[in-house]
Amino acid sequence: VVIASLISPYWDSVATTAGITAIIVLGLYISNSAGALSVAHAALAGMGAYTGAVLTTNFGWPFIAAIAAGCVVAAVGGVFLALVTLRMNPLVAGLTTLAFGETMVVIAYNINYIGAASSFYGIPPDTSLGAVYITLAIAMFFAWRFESSRLGLAARACRDDRVAADAAGINVTWVKTAVFTLGAALAGVGGVLSAHYILVVRPSDLSFQNSLPLLIMWVFGGSYFFVGPVFGALTLSFLPELLRFSDQTRYMLYGLVLTAVIVRRPQGLIGRVPLGSTWSPLRHLRSRPKVPEDPHPGLEEPSDADRELSS
Amino acid sequence: MVLFLQQVVNGLSTGSTYALVALGFGLVFSVMRVLNMAQPDLAMVGAFVAYLIAAKLLPLSLTTTTSMALGIGVFVLVLLGGMLGAGVGGVILERTVIRPTRGTYILIPFIATAGVGIFLENGANVLFGSNPVSIPEVIPYDVISIGGVTFTVMQLISFVLAVAMMVALRFYVKRTRWGLATRAVAEFPDVAASCGVNVNRVSVLTVGIAAAMAGAAGVTIALLQTSADPFMGLALGLKSFVCMLVAGNRHIEAILAVAFALGVLEALVGGYVSSQLRDAVAFALLLAILLFRPSGLFGSYAT
Repeated sequence: VVIASLISPYWDSVATTAGITAIIVLGLYISNSAGALSVAHAALAGMGAYTGAVLTTNFGWPFIAAIAAGCVVAAVGGVFLALVTLRMNPLVAGLTTLAFGETMVVIAYNINYIGAASSFYGIPPDTSLGAVYITLAIAMFFAWRFESSRLGLAARACRDDRVAADAAGINVTWVKTAVFTLGAALAGVGGVLSAHYILVVRPSDLSFQNSLPLLIMWVFGGSYFFVGPVFGALTLSFLPELLRFSDQTRYMLYGLVLTAVIVRRPQGLIGRVPLGSTWSPLRHLRSRPKVPEDPHPGLEEPSDADRELSS
Repeated sequence: MVLFLQQVVNGLSTGSTYALVALGFGLVFSVMRVLNMAQPDLAMVGAFVAYLIAAKLLPLSLTTTTSMALGIGVFVLVLLGGMLGAGVGGVILERTVIRPTRGTYILIPFIATAGVGIFLENGANVLFGSNPVSIPEVIPYDVISIGGVTFTVMQLISFVLAVAMMVALRFYVKRTRWGLATRAVAEFPDVAASCGVNVNRVSVLTVGIAAAMAGAAGVTIALLQTSADPFMGLALGLKSFVCMLVAGNRHIEAILAVAFALGVLEALVGGYVSSQLRDAVAFALLLAILLFRPSGLFGSYAT
């Protein structure tokens, strides 16, 4: 990354954007580490971005204070979402966050103070490559400590088996809310950094179209270990640029690589355990390897169902 | 009153395109618990097949005919072509992406098919360019007026097509042998498999049929707007997705009804309140339904 940024200002901008995305995806990872499914991290980051941008531009706050404020606002959004989606299954929770994100887009379109449809301009360019990667390093250190902390372990337990975690004395409500809020706060930091780099915040930045890539990076990189999402974000941010030799077809290749990796390695590039591997209502429907040849023919015929499933 | 009815008619026409994509979404999701994010892009494939047939393959005299009967004949040809193109795409999608990933965590097939969607969008972008291609008006532009409410023949056809597709799909699911197998897999996949249902074949059929319906939607939209562009699936996808969720995926009729209702609601909000709030209707509806009836208005299969 450092080498890339030294080569040209173009790679500098790619690296900065990639770093910011990595911070937000890391937030997504932490939010979802207790089994929630958030499709609204672009909206949470966007809330942080608007807050930070308004504070530095209109009130002249220092950059650090704006980051803190954006972080708090996104965290408040996170608490709200976490409490609403607490008891839902992952699908319904995901869709609720989707609807939340789209609602935020509409709200942003209708507040004139933050520029409404014509976006929020005039933000001071405070973000630099160094600042982004220092923040990313701090966030990764935080995520690393989080993974082995009591809260991180409790979150993992909640994700793998909520009922068992409850029975083991873990306060599932508290853990899920706390973890989601932490992730949302991190996304808010990413949002403020992004606002002070791109220098404009648009309502459409909060939409599902921008949350989907975050989700893709998270699953692509590996959803069970904190290096995975950072790796996924950096890889998928650089991939279209590295594919620039085929300018027209690069996003086509991007889609192809993405699909191939997910189909071949559903657990993501980094990590061993696939997402949701412990429980799935349709686990019997997975295509399985062929039933091995019976070493003692005639002893036990495989049932019709086995044949059907293995065919 | 006339203005109101006019908005309703326009809304029904938009709703019919949502319906065709939403029916496919609902079918695939209810049978395999897979959110097929490539569905709206298969509609785009159908639209471009329609473009190839109508603008490149057929002579100009056929596609700009003034005879209504001939126009409808050409439309049927284009429609079948679009459905076939998208249907084949759907079968390939099932074999390569959905089959290896179904039954895993819900995000895995979601993201894998979203990748296919990105591939299709940008593939079409490479082949046809990002500017919309224009498609001749296959159906002669005749305006029908009933008591001051006007609509084109194409709008009428899109409405009839959506209803006809729903009826056909309903017949398939409720009255045929493979439909029975499909319902069995949707209800209890394990039991269906142990009773000898060929789950893989049901899966191919389901995705293929859903893709063909998306193709029909694509052709309809292409001919309604007389244009198609590689990224037309994006706007369509989210709306029809919402239709499927609000209706729940248990009843095919419900999806159609909700799609029409959403189209009409959007047209009314756009016409009377503000055009900015138009797109918010779908998500306000979704939020309300998810909070009070998480399995949709008319019930869904268990997830």
